[in-house]
Amino acid sequence: MINIRDKGAEIWENWNRPTRVIFVLSTITIIALLPFAAAWGPTSFLDTPITSFKNVLVYPVGMFVLMALGLNIVVGKSGLLDLGYVAFFAIGAYSQAILSTSFGWSTWEALPVGIGLAMVSGVLLGLPALRLRGDYLAIITLGFGEIVRIVILNSRKVTGGPDGIAGIKNPPAIFGLEFDLFHPEHFFWLVGVMVLLVIWMVRRFTVRRPGRAWEAIRQDEDVASLMGVNTLVYKLWSFVIGAAVGGAGGVLYASKVMVISPDMFKFEVSVLILACVVFGGIGNIWGVVLGASLLAYIPDRIRFISDARQVIFGLVLIIMMNLRPDGLLPRKKREKISEKRKK
Amino acid sequence: MSTKILELRDVTIKFGGVTALNTVNFHVNQGEICALIGPNGAGKTTVFNVVTGVYPVTSGEIIFQGKNLAKLKPFRVTKSGIARTFQNVRLFGDMTTLENVLTASDVHKKSGLVGSLFGSPRSRREEKESKARAHELLEFLGLDHRADQLAKNLPYGDQRRLEIARAMGTEPKLLMLDEPAAGFNPAEKIDLANTIKRIRDRGYTVLLIEHDMSLIMGISDRVAVLDFGEKIADDIPSKVQDDPKVIEAYLGVPSDAS
Ligand SMILES: Nc1ncnc2c1ncn2[C@@H]1O[C@H](COP(=O)(O)OP(=O)(O)OP(=O)(O)O)[C@@H](O)[C@H]1O
Ligand SMILES: [Mg+2]
Repeated sequence: MINIRDKGAEIWENWNRPTRVIFVLSTITIIALLPFAAAWGPTSFLDTPITSFKNVLVYPVGMFVLMALGLNIVVGKSGLLDLGYVAFFAIGAYSQAILSTSFGWSTWEALPVGIGLAMVSGVLLGLPALRLRGDYLAIITLGFGEIVRIVILNSRKVTGGPDGIAGIKNPPAIFGLEFDLFHPEHFFWLVGVMVLLVIWMVRRFTVRRPGRAWEAIRQDEDVASLMGVNTLVYKLWSFVIGAAVGGAGGVLYASKVMVISPDMFKFEVSVLILACVVFGGIGNIWGVVLGASLLAYIPDRIRFISDARQVIFGLVLIIMMNLRPDGLLPRKKREKISEKRKK
Repeated sequence: MSTKILELRDVTIKFGGVTALNTVNFHVNQGEICALIGPNGAGKTTVFNVVTGVYPVTSGEIIFQGKNLAKLKPFRVTKSGIARTFQNVRLFGDMTTLENVLTASDVHKKSGLVGSLFGSPRSRREEKESKARAHELLEFLGLDHRADQLAKNLPYGDQRRLEIARAMGTEPKLLMLDEPAAGFNPAEKIDLANTIKRIRDRGYTVLLIEHDMSLIMGISDRVAVLDFGEKIADDIPSKVQDDPKVIEAYLGVPSDAS
């Protein structure tokens, strides 16, 4: 079977710089215009029944892409199965909710705090958990995800318990762009910028020392250690960076939906984000972006068949994973040609 | 008198009921090619594993350049100047040949995550330097034309050579090779013997596990023999070859015992 990812990379490598810049800019423009696709004749088939298309683009689509990219650093890059990723999302969301409602902080002020708290909890979980491997790590992270949710559920005074927190403020305007109920497309652009930042970061890491260390750990942790990789530190870093992305996602999410409650941060969300990563192509950012977009979008697109929706969704997953077990766009399999061309 | 770069003092390691090494005293001199031989299951690979920190010793000391290695994690042992290859090839198969060596050479880098993210001058310089060095190493082992191929797609012999290149990527003082000629034909073995000599001439100390006697006799300065976890001989190759205990270990118990 042809590897679409390799084909794409080959075409990309044969382009010169201006062509690449034009391609990237036009892709970004098209994606930025997506919120208006439902209102435009030729693309109106994209419209989602019941939920407004623009809102679907922000949550779940944009949000899931962001989270899946974050989880991909952990699961895809360094091969650590994390089943409690939603915990970092929840920590980010509750940081924003509490700072906004109790202390009047704006989203931009709460963002670094939310990211920081998610990272700190990443360290606290990672230090003991990352000494374990495979299934054991998966179970511990699963437990962590549940613990965070249950603590939130029971800390009524701070988190409002099962009722959650309402009255979270939208982010203040930037560059004249208002973030409110009437401008979901602005939220979409905001999430888009975050996604671009994460992609930039991951690509930077991948071709340098951290990416090599993660890749070595993923392939053979014992050998990686014998070749001088400080495995615990690099596993911790991938965990913490993943947590940071999750925390950032949580902050944005809370300031978009304005009301949050513990049932938004259930185990299913962790599984769904993991499904996005695996479905798209574990370890490959473009696959992950595509996978998350589709998995987030499809359920809303077929919402009109209500009850059968989940069944169809499950069928799509099963069929897809049988046809393309490595995901839509699998990770690099091909040999690099770029080095040779330069000579 | 040459100095000891590595010394095992009364090293014992037990796996449950099996005593894989029994009060082994053994050393490697600076700048030599030292061979470690013995029948299957004698404990040769186990010596590599205790030195590199894969298994903790049950008792005894391991001294490398005057420092005790006991309880150091494998990556710290590597950082202190010991690198090894594996009896069964264990490359990073989904990485290119070049990336395999680069990963190993990262051990001495100072730039970390933040430098990599923002492309700090130090990180850029280190990347450039280690790339040049990696290419040079691959050239040395005759692999540079394969630099951009995935390690798992290399022919078997090249995979074995890449194991050596990767270990050398960590800039070790002591290079430990675990049966590097396994599966080689006679011509390839001669070639490898020459490579090992050239490695020594570059200033590396080499500890070599090997079954092929002619290869060992040709290049080693010293040969140590293990049998059932105990050292039974340790001398220059010609003497070890004629040692009755060694012959017995290899050929089995003398006939009067049966
Ligand atoms: N992790 C382990 N757990 C239990 N026993 C082990 C372990 N590693 C090695 N042994 C035992 O220790 C003994 C020595 O093994 P070792 O691999 O060092 O032999 P070797 O000399 O390298 O042999 P070969 O020539 O076959 O590679 C064997 O009896 C082996 O079964
Ligand atoms: Mg062995």
